[in-house]
Amino acid sequence: MSLPSLVPLIGVADVVIGLSLGSRLFLIAVGLSLIFGVLGVLNFAHGGFYMLGAYVTLAVVTGLIDNFWIAAVAGALAVGVVGATIEFAAIRPLYDRVDADLDQLIVTFGFVLVIHEAVRFIWGSGSYSIDPPDVFNFSVSLGGSTFSAYRLVVIGLAIAVLAGLWLFITRTYFGSLVRGTSSDREMASMLGVDVPRLYTGVFFLGSVLAGLGGALSAPLQSTSPALGDQVIIDAFIVVVIGGLGSMSGAFVGAMLIGMMQSLGPQFISAGSIAIPFLAMVIVLLFRPEGLFGGIGE
Amino acid sequence: MVAGSPDNENKRNRNRDIDAGSESRSPVGRRRFLQAAGAGATVALAGCSGGGGDDVVRLGATYILSGFASLYGEAAERGIEMAQAEINDNGGIDGRDVEVIVRDTEASADTAIQQMRSLVEEDNVHGLFGLDSSGVAQAVAPQAAQLEMPFMITHAATPFVTSPEGEHEDSVGNDYVFRDSNNLTQDIYGAARTAAELDATEWATIGPDYAFGYETWDYFQDFCAGLGVDAEFTAEQFPPLETGDYTPYISSILDAEPDAVLTPLWGADLTTFIGQAEDAGWFDQIDHTLFSVGMGTDLASDGNPLPEGEYASTRYDPFAPDTEANNAFRDAYYEEYDALPTYNAEGAYRAVYLYKEAIESSGSTETSALVDEFTGMEHSGPVGDYRFSETNQATVSSIWGTVTYDDEWESNVLDPVNVYDAGPDVLSEALGDSDLPAGI
Repeated sequence: MSLPSLVPLIGVADVVIGLSLGSRLFLIAVGLSLIFGVLGVLNFAHGGFYMLGAYVTLAVVTGLIDNFWIAAVAGALAVGVVGATIEFAAIRPLYDRVDADLDQLIVTFGFVLVIHEAVRFIWGSGSYSIDPPDVFNFSVSLGGSTFSAYRLVVIGLAIAVLAGLWLFITRTYFGSLVRGTSSDREMASMLGVDVPRLYTGVFFLGSVLAGLGGALSAPLQSTSPALGDQVIIDAFIVVVIGGLGSMSGAFVGAMLIGMMQSLGPQFISAGSIAIPFLAMVIVLLFRPEGLFGGIGE
Repeated sequence: MVAGSPDNENKRNRNRDIDAGSESRSPVGRRRFLQAAGAGATVALAGCSGGGGDDVVRLGATYILSGFASLYGEAAERGIEMAQAEINDNGGIDGRDVEVIVRDTEASADTAIQQMRSLVEEDNVHGLFGLDSSGVAQAVAPQAAQLEMPFMITHAATPFVTSPEGEHEDSVGNDYVFRDSNNLTQDIYGAARTAAELDATEWATIGPDYAFGYETWDYFQDFCAGLGVDAEFTAEQFPPLETGDYTPYISSILDAEPDAVLTPLWGADLTTFIGQAEDAGWFDQIDHTLFSVGMGTDLASDGNPLPEGEYASTRYDPFAPDTEANNAFRDAYYEEYDALPTYNAEGAYRAVYLYKEAIESSGSTETSALVDEFTGMEHSGPVGDYRFSETNQATVSSIWGTVTYDDEWESNVLDPVNVYDAGPDVLSEALGDSDLPAGI
């Protein structure tokens, strides 16, 4: 293995690819982070939600209506409904338990298996792929490298989601309820906030974001039942690096991991998937609270 | 935890009540006992009628039937189905029907070992065959010896399972393991022969991050050296199995600007890679791509993922050799499944016939008789005439060709196709000074 000079190796495409990988990681990690920040639930099933978003989008595009955008929205909303139902039926009854954290963890892990098997049952264990929407289904050549124009769309959408979420949390009434409840649940409850309903709402929102991540990624990768397991680990790394509960942390963390995934193979021929883990270890050692912290950050 | 709190006390008492309740209701207990006993008896009966009887020849097969490479197992099942139907319609094996039990390895060595143990110990099979993954084969080979059960590998290609233990640190070959399909050494010898004909000096690889990916690249470099191919090896990438997005790896190879690439990616990973490589302009920038598991994936996939004009290998070609046996097999398969047979279908098909020949020739289904028969056996099938070498490897050819879409068969085929003799002497000589075993 040789280490040729670094600069010529990093092309425009590598950066665009890294940012697009980061963008889809952001969509899943920000929902994970939001749910943890507000509900205190570490949702293991979030990777499953992401995968489900991709599958529903694929199913709608290939079977119902040949419009990617409608399919993506349908995928995201369907996952939102699944998430809210799980929260309502299986997680809400656990909030007041003595060992609520552990019970929630086990329940959400159970749903990882349920979603995985359900997907295998419905769509089989093979893998599927779809083309990007027609408007963006072309390659861009820049600085001697080529990448799909759709990647730019995914990056743009991730930035839009970050901005939208930030406005939503900091500028709306519902956002202030979310912030208030996340910092003191009992006080919010005494002041008349319907906490259980707010929790379900936040879980719905987090699930929609994971579903949207899966939907937008469907044209960029193959969709198989293994997808959820792969992505949840990266998402956990992102939220550990960014700081659990932090939106801007999730964004920065996701982009960092995306760039590591993209640039890693430029320098080592195998094992580049270990780089994000090393980054996580370093953050845990030197800044255990993550780079950012707190809802609305 | 607050052990003495009234709430917890109550909870414990309630639990005790429930337990006591179920214990005191003896009728439920009795019914349960009867159910359990009934189930046990059914299983025992099934065991008696399901295994050990002499009325059929029972073979066990293990393939990947789920996950990213399920298309291989499905192709093998077709080959088995055909062989079974043909044999049973024509008097069976010495008058006995052949029955094949196919199990899923899930591409996992642990699962494969469990399945083969269950086939041997519970289903009392007379012989085993199968395997799609080199990693799995490496783990399974010693188990076959331990179980003292012949195992005919029909797809997994690692040379180390037909390289006698001790020849190399990874060698696990033994008396019980045979392979009727061509191995990685034979296949990659053909890749180096193909490379020798191409106008390309800088070579790269992108392969899966396990033994098969690395072995392919190691053998290719050594064969190029042994055959005097003017080649430099400038870039390598080994993404993990089931990578959903190959673009960072593709980009890395493209940045190195090689003239040609040899890739042993396989299964759904290969189709994913090809789609993403096309988007990245791979086939415009790289002059030649050699797909070593190309046709096995292409023929079994929807559409025709392999790009025309690139090079691919196959371990069996539906058109070469142009013999009656091959043409009949191909046509029958095409009529039944509306697709050309893959090498995995042919390998599995032939394995059933190999057992037929061994059992009929020895007049026995005993392990020792079968192993004796397979050792050094000369055989002929759709793939052509071959024999088993001293290391139990079939002396089949190495087949490489140009991917061409054929309108008549509505499928990709290899045309023109080159069939290279890949017997033990040829391979040993071509490996030159290499430390790697020929596995034949």
